[in-house]
Amino acid sequence: MNDVPQPLDDFSLRIRELACGLKVRDVMTSKVFAITRNCTMHEVQQIMKKNGISGVPVVDDRHVVGIISMHDIMNAFIDGHIDDPVTQHMIPDVQTLSDDVPLSFAMSAFSNYSFRRFPVVDQKNELVGIITPRNINLALIRELSRQLNEIEEGESTSGRAEEMATFHRIYPLSRYDFDHAGRASAELKKNLKARGIPAKVIRRAAIASYELEINIVAHSHGGTFTVLVDDRRVRITANDFGPGIPDVDAAMSEGFSTANDWIRSQGFGAGMGLPNVKRVSDQFDIQSGLEMGTMVKAIVYLENEE
Amino acid sequence: MNLKQIVETLDATLLYAPEEWEKLEIKEVFASDLISDILVSEGHEQVLLTSLTSPQVVRTAELVGAVAIVLVHRRQAPPGLEAAARQHDMPLFRSTASKFDSCVWIGQLKKAL
Repeated sequence: MNDVPQPLDDFSLRIRELACGLKVRDVMTSKVFAITRNCTMHEVQQIMKKNGISGVPVVDDRHVVGIISMHDIMNAFIDGHIDDPVTQHMIPDVQTLSDDVPLSFAMSAFSNYSFRRFPVVDQKNELVGIITPRNINLALIRELSRQLNEIEEGESTSGRAEEMATFHRIYPLSRYDFDHAGRASAELKKNLKARGIPAKVIRRAAIASYELEINIVAHSHGGTFTVLVDDRRVRITANDFGPGIPDVDAAMSEGFSTANDWIRSQGFGAGMGLPNVKRVSDQFDIQSGLEMGTMVKAIVYLENEE
Repeated sequence: MNLKQIVETLDATLLYAPEEWEKLEIKEVFASDLISDILVSEGHEQVLLTSLTSPQVVRTAELVGAVAIVLVHRRQAPPGLEAAARQHDMPLFRSTASKFDSCVWIGQLKKAL
């Protein structure tokens, strides 16, 4: 069962793109009910009933140590454990989400785990909110409506000069699809050429774009690749559905590669991909979560450095 | 030097080339079997010598503005590679020479010109 849009549907490409732009903290419920270890199952049931919620994190000094769901309450009723302390029935080792990660990571997490909710923690690992599929759906609807409004407003004022038109493309990429990897970069290069951008800048944007495209097909379960060009910059976003990078610092060091022999036989896997992208980009950002995905953002400014 | 001189020096076989390929001007040569290295090569009007035969070679060559590709070490071109060359209008040749010998011979050609 899954209420979250599935990643590889073509029609949900826009949704994935939206989900990369939002952070978990923009979407979560911040007013979160939490209980301490001393509470009984009965007290939790009262809190759930009073507030219309179906899951409550257990905290110890604001750190999440467990979670109780409606399911646990029902079992406690049936088995006659409703007056037991929560510690005896909570699920320990709770999977939490950082408030700082892209919403797309949360979507992958809902796909990969069977949980109905994730407690959200800040950098100090303290509980700051909770996220459910409902939060995600509402946020996406809100964002889509906002975009729709923008498009409608844009249409009513159309007739502006086309020459500076924004180039915005979203490409789906699947694992080992080397036939299609590189297509986005070729189209990007063509667009930049048509704009009369200096060759050196085009080269840098093309390197960043190509390495990131290859990364998705060579190393991930698949993902989306987005290119945006306006009159100032090229923004490239590579977003995949996992497995995530265990050690981002290692992945950023030259020569480090997890590529298998087949990928190497194709001429890839020299361990220069991400370092190359960082070197040619004016701005570079990478975020990765195990079983959630990796998002790399690279920006190249169109103005010549000279 | 032009592409025709290089092709003759390497005794290379034509796999695909658009019309008038003979006149293509070559200023630099880049030899590598690593896509990442090819990508960051800074050459202009360069010919790429490689023993890689995946269709991605054509994409990479095009991204860095290479003028032509020569497969070295007797590499057979799989159908996908030739198709990619055709699609991207990228001249593609095949030579029995090693990468090292190819570089040496082109170096000698350059000196002689």
